[in-house]
Amino acid sequence: MDDSDEALMVRIARGDERAFRTLSARHVPAMLGLARRILGNAADAEDVAQEAMLRVWTHAPRWQPLAAFRTWLTRVTVNLCLDRKRRAPWVALEAAGEIVDPAPGAGEKAEHDERERLVQAAIAELPARQRTAIVLTYGDGMSNAQVAEILDTSVSAVETLLVRGKQNLRRALDSVIDKDE
Amino acid sequence: MQNDRFDEYLDKTVTRQTKAPPDDDAAIERVLKRLGGPLPRQKFPWWQLPNVLLDWQFAPAWPRVAVLAGCAAVGFAIGITGIDRRIEPADTAFAVASNSDLGSIVFEPEALTGARP
Repeated sequence: MDDSDEALMVRIARGDERAFRTLSARHVPAMLGLARRILGNAADAEDVAQEAMLRVWTHAPRWQPLAAFRTWLTRVTVNLCLDRKRRAPWVALEAAGEIVDPAPGAGEKAEHDERERLVQAAIAELPARQRTAIVLTYGDGMSNAQVAEILDTSVSAVETLLVRGKQNLRRALDSVIDKDE
Repeated sequence: MQNDRFDEYLDKTVTRQTKAPPDDDAAIERVLKRLGGPLPRQKFPWWQLPNVLLDWQFAPAWPRVAVLAGCAAVGFAIGITGIDRRIEPADTAFAVASNSDLGSIVFEPEALTGARP
C-alpha cells in the first residue's frame, strides 16, 4: 500500500481515521518543534501542532495536491503560530539563565552561555514574520522560494525579512558583544 | 569583535539556536493522544455535495419520492384550474357581450358617412 503523504491524504479525504493517525505520527514531531521555535512556548506549541493536524483532517476533502503536503502543513502551522503571536505577546521561558558552575573553565562557559542567551533573547524579540523567516531559513535550511511559499509572499519579500531580521539582531547584540571583546 | 567575525558568529549562533530541538517525546505523546479522540466533521467542497448527502444517508427513499411527486401533481392541477379565482356564473361573459357589444354594433354611426341606422 502506498503510504506517501499524498496517498494518505486521499484516504483521509474519504474519512479514513487510521490514515490520519499515521500521518499525524509522521508529522507531529516536526510541527511541534517548528511551533516551539516560533512561539518560544512549549504549551502553545502543543496546541498549535494539534490544531494544525485537526485542520488537516477537516480540510482533507478540499485539499488539492498543488504543493507538497509537507509545505502545505508547514504553512498551516506557521499561520497558526503567527495568529497566536498576534493575540498574545511572547514570553521567554528560558530568560532566567543557568546557575554558574564553579568548575575550572566555568567562567568561559558562563560567558558563552550568556552570549547564547542574549542571542536567543534577541531572536525572540524579533517581529513574528522576521523570526519565522529566520527559523525556516537558518534552522530548517529551506530555500527563500520555499519560505516565500510558506509565508505566502514573494522571494524578494523573504529576502527583505531576512535582511531586516539580521539588522535587528545586529543592532540588539552589537553593543553587548563588542563590550565583551 | 570585527564586523566580519561578528557576522560569522551571528550566522553560526542563529543557525545553532534555530535548529530543530530534540524531539520532546512526552509532548508528542500528549498531542497524538489528544488527536486520538473523536475527530470533528470534515468540510466538503460544494461540488462534492451529492457524495456528502450519500455519506449522511440523506439519499431519498421511494415512498418519499412518490409523496413528493403526488404533492407536485396536486399543485400543478390547482395551478391549471385556478382554484384561487372567484367563481362566476357560466353565462356572465355572454351576457356582457349581448348587453353592450351587440348594441354598439347595431347603433354605431357609419365611419364614412356618419349615417345612423
